Amino acid sequence: MVSSRRRTTRKIYTGSRRRFLFPVSFLLLSFLLMILPLEGVVSSVKAVLSYVFIPQVRLAHGGVKYAQGVHQTVQELLNAHQENRRLKQQIEMDHLLTAQAETVFKENERLTEMLDLAPVSPWQGIWAKVAYREPSQWNTVIIDKGSADGVEERSAVLSVEQGQEGLAGVVVEVTENTSKVLLVRDEDFTAAVTLEKGQEEGLLIGGGTNAVRIKYIPLQAQVSKGDKVFTSSTSSIFPAGILVGKVRAVREDSSFQTAQTIEVDPLVRSAAVKELFVILKQEEQTPYVEDL
Amino acid sequence: MWKICKLMALFIVATVCHWGFATLFSYVGLSVNFMLVFAMAFCAVARLEIGYPVAFMCGLFLDFFGSKLFGNNAFSFTWVACVVYALRERIDFASILPQVVTVFFLTCAVGVVNSLLLMRFTSSSFWPGTVSLLGGAVVGALLAPIVFAVVRFVWVDLSADEHL
Repeated sequence: MVSSRRRTTRKIYTGSRRRFLFPVSFLLLSFLLMILPLEGVVSSVKAVLSYVFIPQVRLAHGGVKYAQGVHQTVQELLNAHQENRRLKQQIEMDHLLTAQAETVFKENERLTEMLDLAPVSPWQGIWAKVAYREPSQWNTVIIDKGSADGVEERSAVLSVEQGQEGLAGVVVEVTENTSKVLLVRDEDFTAAVTLEKGQEEGLLIGGGTNAVRIKYIPLQAQVSKGDKVFTSSTSSIFPAGILVGKVRAVREDSSFQTAQTIEVDPLVRSAAVKELFVILKQEEQTPYVEDL
Repeated sequence: MWKICKLMALFIVATVCHWGFATLFSYVGLSVNFMLVFAMAFCAVARLEIGYPVAFMCGLFLDFFGSKLFGNNAFSFTWVACVVYALRERIDFASILPQVVTVFFLTCAVGVVNSLLLMRFTSSSFWPGTVSLLGGAVVGALLAPIVFAVVRFVWVDLSADEHL
């Protein structure tokens, strides 16, 4: 009788000890992970995991595409006839435009040669799909193209929104089959930009949840709401002339400031990014690169 | 061995679903955390000796795919497991309403705690937005009955058949 009571007491004691020890030990461990400098180890494990989980990322992405595709396919079938007629007209127009563009291109080449100017190289790159987004952090996405496709770190990334190509971000991590892209809104993102009017240069800085800003614009620069912002020719990462967004507001200057700060609405919205165009370095083009 | 296989299968399916739902709902501006729903469902049916490590590993798994802070999801998932085990003694997680309510409130709480941890340890804020967080929590809560049922079936019912 006494021994069975002892056993029961011991069981209860062990159970409550476990109930206390398990959460405390795991909470302590996770807290240590947060405070310890583990960049090296974490990066290695990340690299291994990204290889291991590629099939799952692709499967998930395929599932999502299929789920979206059902609704779209039905819609497309309903509109197919009208769209076909419109596209035929557009193709005829495109033929005309191509002929005109070829003439202009040749003329430009001739003039560039006469004026001894450095020719502007066309953007060449590869289309990639967004394969993963973190639920709580949308300013970073993982795309389904990696070093095997010619993607390198610090490659510029574009996207098409509202029928216009715009700056989407920059590649910050590359594995063989995937890459991590830091989008324009991320607070770690920076780019040299110019304003449409006046050609003043400034530094674009992502704002995280706050507004994207351009710093170091001279006080005398005339900036108004709606002005377009393009990437600057002084940027070492981004080709010049890519649309970044439009001026949303010009901050009131305090008397001690020597430059204006401008708030910008990026053309490419982080939540809407689905396909991205990664600009590849010219000398390392893969055989299947596409033109934007 | 059979249990380990089942756990592995559940985990792999959960990661696929997590990626799928995170990508699908981010297009409409919602932040869905499927792994969290899975961790809660698992803790609702498994013993704490298995539930805590699984919840911790689910969080750690998300941490490996994060870019700013390492360990915040592991921390959040562990205290979520703690809450689920505490609630399990008072609430019957076999019925749908407790599942939905628990998942909704804990998802919101995890969003807040993650933002606070990021603010504290990285001096930056990653608030996904109130609408996005609440919307994601609603989607998670709506998915909860299915996830709880699947996890219960695979982890409890299949094992029960095994003992027959």
